[in-house]
Amino acid sequence: MEETNKQVPVTVLTGFLGAGKTTLLNRILTEQHGKKYAVIVNEFGEQGIDNDLVVDADEEVFEMNNGCICCTVRGDLIRILSGLMKRADKLDAIIVETTGLADPAPVAQTFFVDQDVADRTKLDAIVTVADAVHLSTQLTDHHEAEEQIAFADVVLLNKIDLVDESGLKVVKERIKKINPFAKIINTTKCGVSLNEILNLDAFSLKRVLDVEPDFLTSDHDHEHDDDVTSLSFVSDTPLDMEKFQDWFSKLLQTKGQDILRTKGILDFTGESDRYVFQGVHMLMDASPMGKWPEGKERSSRLVFIGRNLESMNLKEGFENCKSA
Amino acid sequence: MKADLNKLPELNKTKFENRGKEFKLGIPVTNAVTIGNSIAVGFGDGTVRIFTSGESSEPIKAHKGIVLCMSKDGDNILTGGDDGRFLNISLDGKVSEIGNFGTRWVDHVTANNGSLVCSSGNIVYLWSPNHKEPKLFEHNSTIGGIAFDAKGRRLAVSRYGGVTLWKKDYSNKWNSSELNWKGSHNKVIFSPDGKYLVTSMQENQLHFWRLKDKIDSAMSGYGAKIKSFAFVDDSKYLATSGAKETVCWPFDGDGPVGREPTCLPYVGNKLVTFVEPFPNENAILAGLSDGSVFLSEIEKASNTIIIRSFTEFEVSAIAVTKDCSHLLIGDMGGNILWTSIWDEEIK
Repeated sequence: MEETNKQVPVTVLTGFLGAGKTTLLNRILTEQHGKKYAVIVNEFGEQGIDNDLVVDADEEVFEMNNGCICCTVRGDLIRILSGLMKRADKLDAIIVETTGLADPAPVAQTFFVDQDVADRTKLDAIVTVADAVHLSTQLTDHHEAEEQIAFADVVLLNKIDLVDESGLKVVKERIKKINPFAKIINTTKCGVSLNEILNLDAFSLKRVLDVEPDFLTSDHDHEHDDDVTSLSFVSDTPLDMEKFQDWFSKLLQTKGQDILRTKGILDFTGESDRYVFQGVHMLMDASPMGKWPEGKERSSRLVFIGRNLESMNLKEGFENCKSA
Repeated sequence: MKADLNKLPELNKTKFENRGKEFKLGIPVTNAVTIGNSIAVGFGDGTVRIFTSGESSEPIKAHKGIVLCMSKDGDNILTGGDDGRFLNISLDGKVSEIGNFGTRWVDHVTANNGSLVCSSGNIVYLWSPNHKEPKLFEHNSTIGGIAFDAKGRRLAVSRYGGVTLWKKDYSNKWNSSELNWKGSHNKVIFSPDGKYLVTSMQENQLHFWRLKDKIDSAMSGYGAKIKSFAFVDDSKYLATSGAKETVCWPFDGDGPVGREPTCLPYVGNKLVTFVEPFPNENAILAGLSDGSVFLSEIEKASNTIIIRSFTEFEVSAIAVTKDCSHLLIGDMGGNILWTSIWDEEIK
């Protein structure tokens, strides 16, 4: 736990072209927030005001030479974060801007794969800026837009002044269908308090315990095969640890490219602790997370966000993990 | 546990610490370079200090944020920083700017025979003596490391996917060839005899190429990334960090393929983070993640002595003066030890 205090939180800022990311970055750089932030940008060309540090980077996605096919990391981030950790003065947060067409997975995976980065920094949250007017079209036309919503912990739904109420409802439902956990914040001109997007600790395993997804699992009518959707499962019957590990590791090994994010709280037979995990593609962070709260029902909850989930027999696989 | 550890160093000080001089500066040490009998040290607040005869100079304000890298050109110090500047600093503290790349960091610097080289992003910039404008060498990804061979005719540039080897022909034209190996390559060095090129990788392994026939191979088995490695005793061994022992690969004869490395163990079971060959000896100074530093003879590991006890902070720099009389140790907590190496009665 002591280690956590030393880790500088890193917020990843994604968003499709024209959604308003630059407006938000400008706000972070110009606001008198009294904090020391480093902002890692791509061709932004602005200087920080109020003590902020602007670092230029090129998005460089590297494949790890470790036999894991979807294990890609951001090489430039490893270099820059390792450098920033040598600074004499402590940073309050680091913000990483990604380009409009970027897949957020390599950024997230960097924090799982590189030990130096994981020791000294922690992925705080993925914040996606979305354009309320154009998001629906972008989601249909571009995989990247879907991925940015799928990975988001917070969606800043921007330009809401330019859509009517029913339009807003439609776009929100679309977001919820891809990602039922993302917190949606309505904004115009990215007018949001910085403490709603920074220092959220969204990737900590503790926060997985708060997960209460909206269950939108029954309605799959208008989907194409490669649409990003989510599926959730609940069981009051305890799970068999060995069966679960067997099923789940095979699932990630074979379908890890299509599974974008997973989260779960698990109740194993004979274990007094709750087990919590969360993952990005094939990479997983998992740990026992203390005893089950007294007087509350023990149950397992498991959530997937990804493509082609229907073809993975997830329900059947999960059912088979229940203790006989 | 922690409270106890804080009390122990008083009891455990080595003779080197007792007779040396300690500086508790509280600023992470990023680099150290030997210049004659002085040692220049770069810090995480952008300053450089020059240590001579156990005294520190006033801090020289070089970079805005961090001294990312350091080298030397004769008696001058070269530094690159996160303010995008490539600087030349004289021993008396005069700073002059060689290049400025704005918000792009200067990640690596080196020099050979008056040619000054730095890298920023995916470009290597080379200033030949008496040339105002640099020559540019562009690469397909951000550069992980740069190194000249001893003669300065070859410049190795590591990158994603391998190493680009630039060779100067006798009309002073630079031609490149590629040495490819999957993955991201960081630091690169030539063996002093010029026969081998070695890189450390994003994965916990090293890679080497034998330049005469381009035979290449990986050196793996490490528990952590290899941040520090160096050839010892005129290319006989390659000493490497990244494990709980200093792993020394044999590079004499036909090289390390099919041969076992020599491992130098230390008390404390901590990771080796920095290795520095002891000049003219078959010996290695190794700095560990807890701040302790040991000196060992590679072929007689039983002769290992402790130079510095722990500070809790990872060793990030070790340098020995040119006359081999003194050494300087720096760590990420900003602690510096300057000490004499030989016992008075012996030498």
